[in-house]
Amino acid sequence: MPTTPHDQGDGVISAVHAALAHAAIDAREVVSVAHGMTVGTNALLERQGARACLVTTAGIEDVLELRRQNRAALYRLDEHHPAPLIAADHVVGVHERLTPTGVEVALTPDELARTVDAVRVHDPEAVAIGLLFSYRDATHEQLLAAALRDALPDIPVLTSAEVLPEIREYERIATTVLDAYLTPLLARYLEGLAMRAADAGLPEPIIMQSSGGVMGLHDASRHAARTVLSGPAGGLVGAAAVARQHGAPLALAFDMGGTSCDVALIEDGVPARAHGRVVAGHPVHLPMLDIETVSAGGGSIAWADGGGALRVGPRSAGAVPGPAAYAHGGELPTVTDANVVLGRVHGTLGDDHGITLDPTCATQAVAALATSLGLSVDACAEGIIAVAVQEMVRALRVVSVQRGVDPRPGVLVAFGGAGPMHACDVADELGMRTITCPASAGVLAALGMVVAGERRDHVRTVLLGVHDTDALRAAVHALVRVAQAEIPGGRIEVQADCRYAGQSHALTVAWHPEDAPEALASAFHAAHAHASGSAMPERAVEVVSVRVAAITDGPTLEWNARPVPDGRVNGPASLAMAGSTCWVATDWSAQVYDDGTITMERA
Amino acid sequence: MSGLDPIGLQVWSAALGAVAEEMQAALVRAAFSVTIKERRDCSTALFDGQGRMVAQSHSIPVHLGAMPEAVAAVMAGGAQPGEVWIINDPFRGGTHLPDITLVSPIAVDGVVVAHAVTRAHHADVGGMSPGSMPAGARELVQEGLVIPPMRLAGADGVDVQLLELVLANSRTPDERRGDLAAQLAAHALADDRLRELAARRGGAGAIARAMDDILAYAERRTRTAIAALPDGEWHGEASLEGDGVTDDDIVIRVRVAVAGDQMTVDFTGTDPAGPGNLNCPIAVTRSAVYFAVRVSTDPDIPASAGAFAPITIIAPEGSVVHARPPSAVAAGNVEGSSRITDAVMAAHALAAPVPAEGQGTMNNLTLGFGDRVYFETLAGGQGASATGDGPSAVHVTMSNTLNTPIEALEVAMPVRVERYAIRRGSGGVGRHNGGDGVVRRIRLLHDAEVSLIAERRRSCPAGQAGGGDGQMGVTLVGDHPVGGKWRGRLPAGTVIEQRTPGGGAHGAA
Repeated sequence: MPTTPHDQGDGVISAVHAALAHAAIDAREVVSVAHGMTVGTNALLERQGARACLVTTAGIEDVLELRRQNRAALYRLDEHHPAPLIAADHVVGVHERLTPTGVEVALTPDELARTVDAVRVHDPEAVAIGLLFSYRDATHEQLLAAALRDALPDIPVLTSAEVLPEIREYERIATTVLDAYLTPLLARYLEGLAMRAADAGLPEPIIMQSSGGVMGLHDASRHAARTVLSGPAGGLVGAAAVARQHGAPLALAFDMGGTSCDVALIEDGVPARAHGRVVAGHPVHLPMLDIETVSAGGGSIAWADGGGALRVGPRSAGAVPGPAAYAHGGELPTVTDANVVLGRVHGTLGDDHGITLDPTCATQAVAALATSLGLSVDACAEGIIAVAVQEMVRALRVVSVQRGVDPRPGVLVAFGGAGPMHACDVADELGMRTITCPASAGVLAALGMVVAGERRDHVRTVLLGVHDTDALRAAVHALVRVAQAEIPGGRIEVQADCRYAGQSHALTVAWHPEDAPEALASAFHAAHAHASGSAMPERAVEVVSVRVAAITDGPTLEWNARPVPDGRVNGPASLAMAGSTCWVATDWSAQVYDDGTITMERA
Repeated sequence: MSGLDPIGLQVWSAALGAVAEEMQAALVRAAFSVTIKERRDCSTALFDGQGRMVAQSHSIPVHLGAMPEAVAAVMAGGAQPGEVWIINDPFRGGTHLPDITLVSPIAVDGVVVAHAVTRAHHADVGGMSPGSMPAGARELVQEGLVIPPMRLAGADGVDVQLLELVLANSRTPDERRGDLAAQLAAHALADDRLRELAARRGGAGAIARAMDDILAYAERRTRTAIAALPDGEWHGEASLEGDGVTDDDIVIRVRVAVAGDQMTVDFTGTDPAGPGNLNCPIAVTRSAVYFAVRVSTDPDIPASAGAFAPITIIAPEGSVVHARPPSAVAAGNVEGSSRITDAVMAAHALAAPVPAEGQGTMNNLTLGFGDRVYFETLAGGQGASATGDGPSAVHVTMSNTLNTPIEALEVAMPVRVERYAIRRGSGGVGRHNGGDGVVRRIRLLHDAEVSLIAERRRSCPAGQAGGGDGQMGVTLVGDHPVGGKWRGRLPAGTVIEQRTPGGGAHGAA
């Protein structure tokens, strides 16, 4: 389905209609519509967000521009970071100051009034409020928010204490600013979507968050930062569901498309989580799935560097002109062309693309590179794949080995247009022996939407000793109350970010607040030993932040596909799938199932 | 020509590079100090069996060329596989005393195929002021504990007596113990990874051959990049504005000669080492030169001994760029190295497009509150290039460490950050403006021992091609300007303000 940039909501509902017509189902029979989108990321890349104002503590008005003071590229001295989402002339400094221990400069009514006036002259579409130390005392931010909401009732006014009450001002304020920058646009998009869904007789869509849980459309439209990675999260939640269906305690998700590759760790059927990442050069420090992205895809271009080494990417042939094999004018050899040359893929690429692959064009492109490297065409094609695989393996090692997890006993869940094609090579490099290629990428993302439960995350920096049990429990209970109000009856998960007193970074460990403090301390010692090879049980343990999530579990979908008769194939062989081709390498054998799933095992 | 094919080369490079990156991740994850965790002031690398650097983590440039001397010193000391050695002596392979380097030989099938190296900035190793970066030190022993190459760990575990000696000489022994444990963990990991690689990819011989080929490859690419420069000789110069003891300028003079695919960087004519501590051991000078060459040729070439092979460095012994005992060197690593980079880049600017001068200093501030020590470096303006304005508020050359968040700083230390801002208008004016510096104003809440070391407090970062100069930096103590180097005890309530230099502009306005 082509995207409709002018009104993406239109395209979504038309696609639902098309799917319903195909399946001969009436819209009124639909129980639930779940939606994942890339509206936020696109707006960020194209800088199409709102005209927003930042209100911050006087003296640090340049916080967005100062970032963390490291340069954009270590050895390219002329490279700039992306410009802040709010320019310096739209930042308003407030005379107030909190400290780690209390209020140093109180916020006066006069200053409040002056701030409101200073914001109003900019006629903003959204306001972000981020003050120093608001993670421990939100009073000043709340006073400002109330006054600004009174004065500007029609626009979102967001406080950093509400978006992310966590220590470290740059990340907290930048995340709040990103939220303010994207929220008006996302709200318009989601309102339009809700209206169209209602017109079509469909239930109101629920929305996939970056965290892999869904939330109601109206809540989602209040905080765009929560859904900025909504798109990739859907596929990963689907991959996790597949891992559960196949009873895999450990899996690696490997989603390789045309220009990039997303990978993630799945333990006990649950995708690994992160506390934030950088999106298009801007930090988003919110709970999200831990996805590592590298620019290596089927369209990545292979080239020879000045030292005679074969390189792949980061440049990509994109969708236009695409790989040389598409015969749309591309002349540079890509990873897809290498696969065509080796006969791993042929014929027509997927039913929905309808692109016929031209081996002559692919061979010409690879031959030119092979000549310059002094290689045969086949050796060059094999090399292109081997080098691209290294890049993907690096990403997979980051999410497994670098997190202290040995990937070898796990299952590789390979999807995306180019995932099943490279799964055997990737698995061989990592020493993995089992692969599952789910029926199709589109179905996988849809599966993710269906099985995703609701989820709300809350975090609060507390900076308490592990034995300050009463204060810790009070902080947790306050968050639990909020989360329970949002998802009544939801399962509550509590975690604590702990560190040894004197350390500056924390590790997140699960915690039952009713347990004795020693239980939390020993959970942290174990986590520290796991992450860094040693624990220091004689040292005092500090809790930096507490985290509470309310979760409902989505439906469990049994996988009851049956092996296709004669569906056992020994490599080398290539098997057509909907939207991609699966390559069964030498020493691997594949089993095809009647739903289109392919599993592979190493001999 | 290389023994590995073009594919094997990339596959091996990626595999060995991944080990170095994984060591770095493990070190940062396990470390205790703000310096390593928040500021990432550490590096990791793999060397081959002969002591040539093969792969380095993407870390801070001042560690680029500074590790080979440490590995050579440890090899000369007779290090055996299974052991981890420790060293920080700047005259035997170190850089400055806070940088503690660990080196471990790794054997596969009884053959030493590699050396793992970790280097981390330890926040205090003793000496005359907290943080071991004392402005005004006159000899090395005033700057802290000097550790010659010694065996820290063997088959029987860590040498507890040596460890206790090191810890006893630090104001922050617990933190040191934690950071050293983090370094040791990275070494254990390197050992595991190389064994796995050998097992999967053809044993010790295959590793050695691959390393040879990777070095030859980096050398080929560097030679290609140098050959693309015009042949000739260019001269550059940069001055240190005193060194905390003398107030006189100390001048670094450099001649860069390109002949075919070789480059000579000759510091003959450079002033002798000064009485203070801005002197550079040769390892620091090498790093600064490699950085400047890398920026002005091809930054994509993997940092390795091969990439450095076509570059000959001539640095007269006893000069400020090749200090000898008993010179003090603590600030050579941060400030001397920045000035060397500027001198070499000034010479390069005549041969290749490089940006106008950046701030050329790291604006080092050390605060000691009894047993708590805080060290920070501040960003400034980058020089503009022919293609655009210089970035503002970034580290410009040999450092790329993160700032300490105000909230983290005020929780950890008795200070109040009153202002942290872009220093608007401090970049030079021209067709493309220089980047702006920053202003950081800190009020002490307790009495403190304070050490300030900065350059560019009496000279401006130069513009290029007719562009205007950036503004020089200003340091205020109690609102009075103090120049670039200052050390003393300050009472609670005193305000320290640094206004860092702007970068030079490019092209006439």
